[in-house]
Amino acid sequence: MTDNPHSTARIAGHPLHPMFVPFPIVCFVLTLISDLAYWKTAAMQWANMSAWLLVVGLVMALLAVIAGLIDFLGERRIRALPAVYVHALGNTVALVLAIFNLLIHSRDAYTSVVPTGLVLSVLTVLILLVTGWLGGDMVYRHRVGVLPEDRP
Amino acid sequence: MSPWRLSLFAAAALSLAACGPKPIDPHRQIGANPYLPPIHQYLLPPMHVPKTEPWGSAVPTVAPGLQIKALATGLKNPRSLYVLPNGDVLVAETDGPKGPVNRPKEFVMNWIEQQAHSKTKAGNRILLIRDPGNGAPPQVSVFIDHLTSPFGMVLVGNDFYVADTDAVLRFPYQTGDTQIVAPPQKLTDLPGGPIDHHWTKSLTASPDGTKLYVGIGSNSNITENGIPAELGRAAIWEIDRTTGAHREFATGLRNPNGLQFEPQTHVLWAVVNERDELGPDLVPDYLTSVKDGAFYGWPYSYYGQHVDPRVKPQRPDLVARAIPPDYALSSHVAPLGLVFYSGSNLPAAYRSGAFVGEHGSWDRSPLNGYRVVYVPFANGRPTGMAQDVVTGFLGADGKARGRPVGLAVDAHGGLLIADDVGNTVWRVTAAGTQP
Repeated sequence: MTDNPHSTARIAGHPLHPMFVPFPIVCFVLTLISDLAYWKTAAMQWANMSAWLLVVGLVMALLAVIAGLIDFLGERRIRALPAVYVHALGNTVALVLAIFNLLIHSRDAYTSVVPTGLVLSVLTVLILLVTGWLGGDMVYRHRVGVLPEDRP
Repeated sequence: MSPWRLSLFAAAALSLAACGPKPIDPHRQIGANPYLPPIHQYLLPPMHVPKTEPWGSAVPTVAPGLQIKALATGLKNPRSLYVLPNGDVLVAETDGPKGPVNRPKEFVMNWIEQQAHSKTKAGNRILLIRDPGNGAPPQVSVFIDHLTSPFGMVLVGNDFYVADTDAVLRFPYQTGDTQIVAPPQKLTDLPGGPIDHHWTKSLTASPDGTKLYVGIGSNSNITENGIPAELGRAAIWEIDRTTGAHREFATGLRNPNGLQFEPQTHVLWAVVNERDELGPDLVPDYLTSVKDGAFYGWPYSYYGQHVDPRVKPQRPDLVARAIPPDYALSSHVAPLGLVFYSGSNLPAAYRSGAFVGEHGSWDRSPLNGYRVVYVPFANGRPTGMAQDVVTGFLGADGKARGRPVGLAVDAHGGLLIADDVGNTVWRVTAAGTQP
């Protein structure tokens, strides 16, 4: 069998899920960095930056979830991969933490970040390290969404 | 646990955390020694915005022995009042400047404020209402036009002062004038935009007329716009009337309004809006005498030396000299108007004390404020429990028909109330007298 597990949510053969996924990952990593900067400086620009990054990260994550779910439901061989369950569960937890984190970041001044916001930002990034790695596994190892070599 | 069950669980935890502590009876926070519960920082702060509805033929409810009647209706955001010596009533139609959006929360907050306020665009001018006294309807004229979020007004001799949100202006006034077209002279710049979070600049003059006092609110709830944005703010300024030079008379007052000298003792008093988002019963707003050189805590502490953990860096040196205010009004009532009653129209029970206009807020559920209360005074000090005098701004259906702001006493001793949602000026008098 030469055919790879196919992606259902795609445009001109390009899967959508990997296009959306970098946004939340980058946004939430930068949230952690700007939280650390706020913790060290107490300059409000960093706390404000974190709040914007969380909003953008969450909006794009929602799109990534929709594309990912469509792929998951549209291909039996994706559902057969054990890694996909850890990936989906981990990312759900990360998203819930990010939603809580946005609420914490909507407080005023210091306690909008320290300590709860900062802790949530660290946890979110730690989870994304694992789930992002597993997402990479599914593409680079299990060839999810990759076109077969015998196609043009 | 499946992702769905996990998110359900998280949503349940979220809604529990959002509820927060049970609100207490607000009466426990009225008077000299308010009960102060522990701090509760919300996950989701209350945003209890009452829908607004026109008064129609309804009027606010008054305490027994009083009657109420509209002096003027159809105004554009009337917020503050001043009565000239000849009996003419001045009304500032005003609204705050539009601030920048620095973070996502401000999108939400701006939308909420729009819901809670009048849909009418403010006139940014001062109107003059003259009662011809023969039973004919009052005459309304534009007294001063083209102002910048005006709020405070005071007349000293022939100098009429207006506190715009960014400057104290002086206009020439002659008794009987119904309009001033002369350009103003700027006496003193005040801290204004671009943020201008608390923009109402209350104004009064010392009894001898040599000094002006301006209430300048903070530029944030609790320093979330940065501490440099608070320069010169959360303070009452004393301005020399001849030179325009100023000094900070008292500091640490988050949003001081209703500046008034107590008529017996000639001491300056103010009502102050305290900080939000520490729970439904923190921090009580208050009425206080203002001591020269005193620090009242904001932002570092409240009610004396209760430290606010949201401020960084903290200043234990300033907290150590923070003094508690005189008289708590309970939490989130948003007092914006204050007037000492020295007239003779109202029943004896209302003489020698102070009326406070409580605009009300959306930071507490159930709502608090949305009424005018009377605080009895003896020998120039508040004594006893505040009493509801004018209520019914918030209907039994939960809809706001009005919100009281500025107060004044007119030439016949009637209590005037600016209502910036009902776009009305109300007049309260003793039942049975000429309304």
